[in-house]
Amino acid sequence: MASAAVGGKPRSRLVTAAIILLDLAVLFWFAFPILWMGISAFKDQAGMFTMPPPLLFEPTLANYQHLIDRGALLYFRNSLVASLGTVAVATSLGALAGYGLARGRFRHKQDVAWWIITTRMAPIPAVLVPLYVIFRNLGMLNSLWGLIFAFTTFSLPLAVWLMISFFRDVPRELEEAVWVDGGTVFRSFWDVALPLVTPGLIATATLSFIFSWNDYLFATVLTSGDTQTLPVVTASLQTMHGVVWGQVMSMGTLIFVPVLLLGFAIRKYLVRGLSLGAVK
Amino acid sequence: MQEAVPTPTGRDGAGDRPGPRPAAAGPLAALLGRVSPEGWMILPTMVVLLAVSIYPFAYMIRMSLMEYSPMPQVPATFVGLGNWAEMLRDQAIWGSWLTTLVYFVGALGLELLLGVLIALLIERTPVLQDTLATVILSPMFVAPVLVGLLWRFLLHDSYGIYTYGLRQLGLLSPQTSILGSPATALPAVILMDAWEWTPLVLIVVLAGLRALPHDVMEAAVVDGANYWQQVWYVTLPLLRPVILVAALIRSMDLLRYIDHIMVTTAGGPADTTKIVGVRIYEEAFRFFRLGYASAIGLAMIFVTILLGRLFVNLLGGEQEAA
Repeated sequence: MASAAVGGKPRSRLVTAAIILLDLAVLFWFAFPILWMGISAFKDQAGMFTMPPPLLFEPTLANYQHLIDRGALLYFRNSLVASLGTVAVATSLGALAGYGLARGRFRHKQDVAWWIITTRMAPIPAVLVPLYVIFRNLGMLNSLWGLIFAFTTFSLPLAVWLMISFFRDVPRELEEAVWVDGGTVFRSFWDVALPLVTPGLIATATLSFIFSWNDYLFATVLTSGDTQTLPVVTASLQTMHGVVWGQVMSMGTLIFVPVLLLGFAIRKYLVRGLSLGAVK
Repeated sequence: MQEAVPTPTGRDGAGDRPGPRPAAAGPLAALLGRVSPEGWMILPTMVVLLAVSIYPFAYMIRMSLMEYSPMPQVPATFVGLGNWAEMLRDQAIWGSWLTTLVYFVGALGLELLLGVLIALLIERTPVLQDTLATVILSPMFVAPVLVGLLWRFLLHDSYGIYTYGLRQLGLLSPQTSILGSPATALPAVILMDAWEWTPLVLIVVLAGLRALPHDVMEAAVVDGANYWQQVWYVTLPLLRPVILVAALIRSMDLLRYIDHIMVTTAGGPADTTKIVGVRIYEEAFRFFRLGYASAIGLAMIFVTILLGRLFVNLLGGEQEAA
């Protein structure tokens, strides 16, 4: 598209062929592992270990059946509750604070914004050390709302920063009209600005969900037994009875497919969301 | 916090700028009265972050001065700067920092190089540019722990399909275990991270590439520059801010996540993949040396805050320039 105009002179067939060949190589490198996960999820344990792998095999749902027998639905529910809870906290507080920081004029505003994002940068293993002891002392281990609390450490800063970026796009004049009519700042936030940033709010909520849903480290330290999440259980499948790769891979698809769909749904906002609003 | 926004005073309570109220008496009320509506909107977030970030941080400093028993019932004892002194003397920790540096530079370099090259490639592709970019994004959505499990499966010594392929091509001897050999384990976990996160660099750079001013590009062509000259002298300098953003986002998360390492090598073989994050996890949750882990953790937080400062300063500079 754009490159045709920029390239200037017509390209030789050789260059085009080379480009397409490279495209295919890149595509293979990034897509094959996921494809292999999908295929292996439907293989029985014996078929998995035949080398070279047979091109055709009888697909089976046995792996999924095993997972459900083992209570995968409970862990699915745990993942869902923890992630949705985090989304609720992060998005609501993040929208309020994002608006405040985008519109308010007070001293140290930059410092506040920077401090907020710094909390998103702290390495998870380091954050976990005090959090684990505090949770232990307060009896908050092995609870989903404790996990939501922990997920807030990274999702709330993310939400605040994204919402600052989205609210800055709203023309100030629209809100000023509300103020002229005697409305409060909260009213212009609720009636004018918030409806205009709805797509941004959805993108923020989706990203918060994805990062919480995909978490392993927080959940593996802070939960056990009945409060474990899907990624934790998936990782533990590899040690219980040797490695049940078929189940690991089918559990993998359970974790991955919802996130993939959500990610593609907010494709338009991905660059902006993942660059914390820096690239639009 | 000082209010300065020229907004008219409203009628209802919640977001109202508090004027002089009848009940407002005493210094606390006066202080609260000076908080702007925007300040009130930030307050809940500040309170929550105080609880989940500042308090644990302060607690961690205290923990770093204590010796914890593996038994939760046994109270911790105060050891002063003992953990810190031990950390500075611990050769293994310094080794972990070196491994961290190699891991960080290796993964970041690989992700930036591949990300930029693939973005240029996609931009030159005649058809299906967006479809291609979208499919390539998929690894980003794989949970980091799953990235580890999936690659462990692909690289398995006896039935990993990649191991099998490499052996068939004669690139790997039948005895060599990729994740079990000191020479290949670190490159392997770097490659896993690059597999997942090169797409992030790619989409950020691609967005930057598509926003480039066309007249500048065309001028270069008119001047007789060939494609690679154009890339080197025109495109890359123009992409600098975008590449910077990608580099700094990756810098933050490269140190944050250890999931894929924990489920593949767990730091081994012979500590070759034991980056500082893995070391902290091990000290804290395998040996339950929570005080010692706190000291290492604080050192690591200090390093990331320095990196983060760099991130925010550069980013802030770019945003003001925009």
